[in-house]
Amino acid sequence: MSVAVMKTKAELSFAENFDQVHEQLPGSPAVKRARQMAADRFAELGLPHRRIEEWKYTDLRASVKDALPVRVGDATQMTIADVIVALGPLAKLDAHRMVLVNGAYRKELSSPDQLAGLELEDLASVLASGSEHTEGLISLTARDADAVLALNTAYMTDGAVARVQAGARLEKPLLIAHLRAGREPGFTAHRNVIEVGPKASVQIIEAFVSLPGAASEGQSNAATQITVGDEAKVAHVKCTVDTGEGITQLSNWMIRLGREADYSGFQLTQGVSLARNQIFVAFDGEDAKLDLSGVFLARGREHIDTTLVVDHAVPSCESRELFKGVLDDQSRGVFQGKIIVQQIAQKTDGKQMSQGLLLSPDAEFDSKPELEIFADDVACGHGATCTELDKDLMFYCGSRGIPPDIARGLLIESFIGEAVEKVENQPTAEAIMEFARGWLAKK
Amino acid sequence: MPAVESTIEQVKEIDVDKYKYGFETDIESVKAPKGLNEDIIRYISERKNEPAWMLEWRLDAYERWKAMREPTWARVEYPKIDFEDLYYYSAPKSTEGPKSLDEVDPELLATYEKLGIPLREQEVLAGVQGAKVAVDAVFDSVSVVTTFKEELSKAGVIFCSISEALQNHPEIVKKYLGTVVPKSDNFYAALNSAVFSDGSFVYIPQGVRCPMELSTYFRINERETGQFERTLIIADKGSYVSYLEGCTAPMRDENQLHAAVVELIALDDAEIKYSTVQNWYPGDKDGKGGIYNFVTKRGDCRGHHSKISWTQVETGSAITWKYPSCILRGDNSRGEFYSIAVSNGYQQIDSGTKMIHLGKNTSSRIVSKGIAAGFSENTYRGLVSAHRKAANARNFTQCDSLLIGNKCGAHTVPYIEAKTSTAHFEHEATTSKISDDKLFYCMQRGLSEEEAVTLIVNGFVRDVLQQLPMEFMAETQKLIGISLEGSVG
Repeated sequence: MSVAVMKTKAELSFAENFDQVHEQLPGSPAVKRARQMAADRFAELGLPHRRIEEWKYTDLRASVKDALPVRVGDATQMTIADVIVALGPLAKLDAHRMVLVNGAYRKELSSPDQLAGLELEDLASVLASGSEHTEGLISLTARDADAVLALNTAYMTDGAVARVQAGARLEKPLLIAHLRAGREPGFTAHRNVIEVGPKASVQIIEAFVSLPGAASEGQSNAATQITVGDEAKVAHVKCTVDTGEGITQLSNWMIRLGREADYSGFQLTQGVSLARNQIFVAFDGEDAKLDLSGVFLARGREHIDTTLVVDHAVPSCESRELFKGVLDDQSRGVFQGKIIVQQIAQKTDGKQMSQGLLLSPDAEFDSKPELEIFADDVACGHGATCTELDKDLMFYCGSRGIPPDIARGLLIESFIGEAVEKVENQPTAEAIMEFARGWLAKK
Repeated sequence: MPAVESTIEQVKEIDVDKYKYGFETDIESVKAPKGLNEDIIRYISERKNEPAWMLEWRLDAYERWKAMREPTWARVEYPKIDFEDLYYYSAPKSTEGPKSLDEVDPELLATYEKLGIPLREQEVLAGVQGAKVAVDAVFDSVSVVTTFKEELSKAGVIFCSISEALQNHPEIVKKYLGTVVPKSDNFYAALNSAVFSDGSFVYIPQGVRCPMELSTYFRINERETGQFERTLIIADKGSYVSYLEGCTAPMRDENQLHAAVVELIALDDAEIKYSTVQNWYPGDKDGKGGIYNFVTKRGDCRGHHSKISWTQVETGSAITWKYPSCILRGDNSRGEFYSIAVSNGYQQIDSGTKMIHLGKNTSSRIVSKGIAAGFSENTYRGLVSAHRKAANARNFTQCDSLLIGNKCGAHTVPYIEAKTSTAHFEHEATTSKISDDKLFYCMQRGLSEEEAVTLIVNGFVRDVLQQLPMEFMAETQKLIGISLEGSVG
């Protein structure tokens, strides 16, 4: 039985928009071909919907009503002061900044100097140059069947292309700031490509923030590819902090870990109406370590989804995941975590935990922690819990004279604190907590 | 867990090559023609002398089934089933419908004797199994005998085959049939609704504690037949019943389909305990033959303070596709699921449970232990959900897997959906080898390595074994081949 699939309005307009803007999108002829292929693939796949198992809890066909106009070569007037306002607590960090506004790299707003050991370029110029790097970029996306990623490949305008030299230890974190500004709502597609050489050490922070007064609606599609070389150490943080009422963010992290690599990733998501954060990690060398964690805060009718797939394809690797969600009003949190242990991946050690804290009777938390194991000498486990604020703890605080509002804040802070603590860099962890406190204070 | 000798030995015991129940009974049978169409359904219905509404119900289910597609989401692989190439009805010629024991074909009695199922009441009384168990024996498509009927009826308990219930108590059947598993619930449930031939029916009246364990023993004997049985258990207010189910089939190189539907209904303050030891023929060591066990089992805690508990030991079948579930509709109701699933050879198990919390203050507990060996795939798939109005729902889930050898797979796919903040859900799952620390500790106390492993493995499945009724414990012990060290009971 075959059913003719009706295209939704959003699917049609994503296709139409592509036809309109594809001439303006940066890239050599090879890149243009790859874009066209990706656009065709998207047209074929359509937006993911709940009949697809991985998208069971997040139905983009139903929730993405329309495609906003595409931002290409945006040149919104901005100053460094604006960037500082938009970055909020992150502005205090002593970091090497790369600033993008509405999907376009802005040299004048970024750190002017060079950072020793780091080669940093913007994606638009790399795509246009037709260098070797673009080949790698295209081949990586061409085999992917993910509609969201296909959309990214079709539309990607700009981002960071960073190479950390072998053995380099960057003295400052690299902060890639994606700013949303201006009254016009728009759709942006970013792609960051980061290659960390063997034995190098780096901290990368991606920020998705908005300037006060920015349109309340916005769509962004972000993809970050990271290749971690043998024995390299990477600390990766993503802060998505917005204030709008109709913000959709679809993001993909694709991470490949070399031998004895040590990678830790953290994601903070708040103030977004619809977020889908996908993380794909592949172990490529033995004895690598992975530590993923995250915090998501939602209220109103917000919907935040974290979906990760960790593929243990080689022996003796270790993975840890810890995700915590705080859900208020009618918001919905989703966590899907799949750990695959291939037959040869003996001595794998995997632990995963997802916890939901529901603040309102109408909030919802769906979690699906999955284990797929083909090797026998492994230690894998997962846990999932969901509950409301502990009444005993509230009573204890009350008995010590702490007013309920403050007690609530304290308990929530300590709940998410466990995940934030995973961020080793103290100033970054503090900035994350400050964002979270800001969210809590709004209630 | 890596290969440890004693454990491997124990799992070998239940290995596909050593299937003890693989014999065939040579008995003449009456079969409906092959294939599935309205006429076959009419034939089955007529044969059973069913009321007109039942036939309509079946035909409606058949119409719906025709529009449905086979589910493919489970982690099992098998060649497409040709539903036209099956006999949907087969009955031993001499025993059409249950009779008194004296009239039952001696060949059949011998079969059950061989299987270790006592059908003669005096034998049971003589203490063959220690405790009294009433048995409904289902052979291919029909129930051949039900024991202890009189004694049960004194207590007001109705225990008979479902065909008999349709004759004698049509009002109860009509009231409850299909209310837990609707006829269009899923592909196999719809198929079963259309062609089910027999099964057990239990009604426990208000306030009665069923005086003995009830049990059904399913046996597939005939070639190229599918077995489609339907069980309906109703526990009226304040009653209690414990029900056991066992099954075996001959060794054949063809795959046979077994698509059953079990519906449990617990009214206010009632409790149903349902235990299964599933030991259908699992196929040979190359994965040839064996039963496809595609079963829909669901319990409805309809009344307040009701309780339904599922316990299953899954060792047989080439493919198992089975999710005994509880709908916790009544306030303060409770659902439990205890499972041991052992797979070996080329067996594939995709099993688990659903706990659907709808009423207030409902609680549920899931304990699942999977042991995979050989080339088998063992998946736990489960859902725990709390509806918006299910205030104070509680769930605790634990699923552990043990792998023996590296050609098999163990998977865990839990879905946890909380739609209210007052729900407290906890879920944990592990897959691991036996910890060296534990082994060291045991050995340091003077146990040999094998003894230590046995002890630890016992501990691994103990939570579930404890839930089994005494009568099944012996059989299960044999099945799993793990000594219980007196820790159970």
